[in-house]
Amino acid sequence: MSIAISLEDVVKTFGSTRALDGLDLEIATGEVHGYLGPNGAGKSVTIRTLLGLLRQDSGEVRLLDADPWRDAVELHRRLAYVPGDVSLWPNLSGGEIIDYFARLRGDVDTARRDELIERFELDPRKKAGTYSKGNRQKVALVVALSSSAELLLLDEPTAGLDPLMETVFQEYIISMAAEGRTVMLSSHILAEVERLCDRVTIIRHGRAVQSGTLSDLRTTTRTSIEITTDRPAGGLESFSGVHALRIDGTSLHFEVDSSALDAVMNHLVPFGVRSLVSQPPTLEELFMRQYGDDLIAEETEPAP
Amino acid sequence: MTMLATLKNGTGLTNGVDVPSQPQPLAGFGNLLRFMVRRDRVRAPIWVASIAGVIAASAASMVGLYDTPAKLVEYAELAQLDPALKAFAGPGHGLDDPTLGSVVMNEVLIYTFVIIALMCIFLMVRQTRGEEETDRAELVRAAPVGRLATLAAACVWVTVVNTVVAVALTVSLLAFGLTTMGTLAFGAACWGIGMVFIGVAATTAQIASSARAANATAGAVLGASFMLRAVGDLDNGWVTWLSPLGWAQSIKAFAGEQWWVLIPMVITSAALATAGVALSARRDLGAGLMKQRPGPAEGGPRLASPLALAFRLQRTALISWAVGLALLGFFFGLVADQAEQMLESEAIAEFFAAADVGSPTELFLATMVMMVALIATGYTVSTVLRLRSEEIAVRAEPVLAAPVGRRTWAIGHLAVSIVGSIVVMSVAGLSIGLGTAAQLGETGNVFPVLGASLSMVPALAVLAAATIAIIGWFPRWSQMAWLGVAVSAVAGLLAETLNLPQWIRNLSPFEHVPAYPAAPFELLPMVVLTLVAALVAAVGLFGIARRDIG
Repeated sequence: MSIAISLEDVVKTFGSTRALDGLDLEIATGEVHGYLGPNGAGKSVTIRTLLGLLRQDSGEVRLLDADPWRDAVELHRRLAYVPGDVSLWPNLSGGEIIDYFARLRGDVDTARRDELIERFELDPRKKAGTYSKGNRQKVALVVALSSSAELLLLDEPTAGLDPLMETVFQEYIISMAAEGRTVMLSSHILAEVERLCDRVTIIRHGRAVQSGTLSDLRTTTRTSIEITTDRPAGGLESFSGVHALRIDGTSLHFEVDSSALDAVMNHLVPFGVRSLVSQPPTLEELFMRQYGDDLIAEETEPAP
Repeated sequence: MTMLATLKNGTGLTNGVDVPSQPQPLAGFGNLLRFMVRRDRVRAPIWVASIAGVIAASAASMVGLYDTPAKLVEYAELAQLDPALKAFAGPGHGLDDPTLGSVVMNEVLIYTFVIIALMCIFLMVRQTRGEEETDRAELVRAAPVGRLATLAAACVWVTVVNTVVAVALTVSLLAFGLTTMGTLAFGAACWGIGMVFIGVAATTAQIASSARAANATAGAVLGASFMLRAVGDLDNGWVTWLSPLGWAQSIKAFAGEQWWVLIPMVITSAALATAGVALSARRDLGAGLMKQRPGPAEGGPRLASPLALAFRLQRTALISWAVGLALLGFFFGLVADQAEQMLESEAIAEFFAAADVGSPTELFLATMVMMVALIATGYTVSTVLRLRSEEIAVRAEPVLAAPVGRRTWAIGHLAVSIVGSIVVMSVAGLSIGLGTAAQLGETGNVFPVLGASLSMVPALAVLAAATIAIIGWFPRWSQMAWLGVAVSAVAGLLAETLNLPQWIRNLSPFEHVPAYPAAPFELLPMVVLTLVAALVAAVGLFGIARRDIG
């Protein structure tokens, strides 16, 4: 497995702010990697470092087996970038800007460009100054998705898109991933990350706090269980892995740590299981646990 | 009081009048005004201090230079015959019987008006259209803020700054012992011209849909005012009265004051501000009065490099500068023949016979070429600064995320500046030459003047290079590049008035360009200036290549 992106112990400071504080990140070639974190966690700084726009203070950054600072121009032939907040030249039309970037990249695929403009329902004749946020975003997406880049760096690419257009975007990413292209997707739209990404990294305060496949991440957290038994089941209170237990006659609702799941189920089977609903943690729950330190502290304390 | 009203007062954004059924176009005025003061708290004092400082220093130096009546008479005799002085300094009111006051006025009056007008334009546009260009104005207007509050607050704020400038100028001239009545008239005229251009900017900020265009349109009005009064002053005609600058100079400070000229200035200011308010009340937020036309659906094949984009973005600016300087140059050319009148004075004739400064016409032409070059510094520097505004607006980022080297990107804008400067200077030089030819009926001056204009380009290139160097190494201080323009202008226009030491004059690259055709042409200074420009630009490009972008 070759590595498309690797950051090792990367530090980037702005004055007294440590935007990246010992960040480690590895993205394999051909992978669609979700990059999550709260506002100000350092997601955009990471991507701008990968683009060679910022230079890290210390640590090692490798991108497609090259140095993103030194080899910026060569690397940029092989990647495409979509910023979260797209700023365009107000006097140029959308079509002019799309073609300008395609020519800068040196790969102009008119057919694919026209297809994307149609799919995204963009009017290329309008001056960029009159575009809404979503339409400016579409311009950047058309440029990136019509390119033949082997790596896509996407920084909240669908912020501002309507749900219909978001679906179009997802279709294109899925088909590009099938072609073996690598995608780094920073996003706050968790359903999108869940649908598209093979692996996910969560960063906070400039450090990666969790990284792995979605199923890896799920094992580190809780499943919520709703179970009805023939006879009232007791004794769950003694399991340390059981949280938020609610008993309603023969029905039980609780959350269980993945590590305790096996023991809890064995305990319940003798009571005669009549129905069972189990919900894996959503990415949103994973996310909330990683983001909201204080929130979690509050929630875990009072288990009735 | 309703809860809503309490909330509003809590955020401090209403004037506390709880009448929801009225439109309240000025709601939020006080807070907006305070916020403008906060945003300009460095900028405004710098304007005031630089304007008052330079004028006070000029007065101080002239008190020393013209310390006897004989020296004043000598100055006045020359000034009344020199068309270059008339074009740039006005008709010389009061020079028939020169006093220190009227001589100081002749040296600094018009420049002071122009710089005050520029200050008012820039401050007004920055607070109105400049804000609207960003999303900030939208946030402000989403608060309980009236439709006209921003424009009204800007007018009041810039009026305050303008008044402070006028008072500071008056006080500093009084301190140098100039007579009270004349000094007051000078201060009043300065204030009046500021008010007129507050009105002009209040209107252009509604018409144009970008701050750049609003500044340019107001600047064009200023340029036209300057030209009209220059035409009038040289021909002793009524044309002067078409120009607000003409009204201001006609206050005749130190020469039998005509206070009534303040009336047309105040009326014009009020009328223009009212027009601005009326336009502002009718239009949508963010919209100008000029309609946006659709553009091409596809980019032309030539729009394929940062250089091509830079040219495309600056095309309008280049054409506007070229047209403006062509008009100015042609006018200068038309009046060049008046220079020979200077020989009517025996003293001056002797001076020209003895000194190696060519003929009066040649000296005039050389001076005009220098003037045009000093104005062109505005184009040269603002074009390079576009690099930094592209970076701040995060438009540089996607370009640099494409396979484009930082040097290539920066050189694109630098090239537009240098090539554009060559174009602007050629057009201006050619126009001066053609104007002269049209008036004198002979074309002998066309090529020398064109050559002289082009010989200014290396000096312009030094300013462009200095701008790149600042952007490369001190990006947050990029606006300091205007210091180069200020130094060149002060050294070029006020060196004698200020009695500046040679080392300060030498800071201006233009100081090193021979005053061809009045002085013999020399190649060496051109070569040296070009090398300096290349070296400084290389240092700047190195800085851009090694720093963080954004």
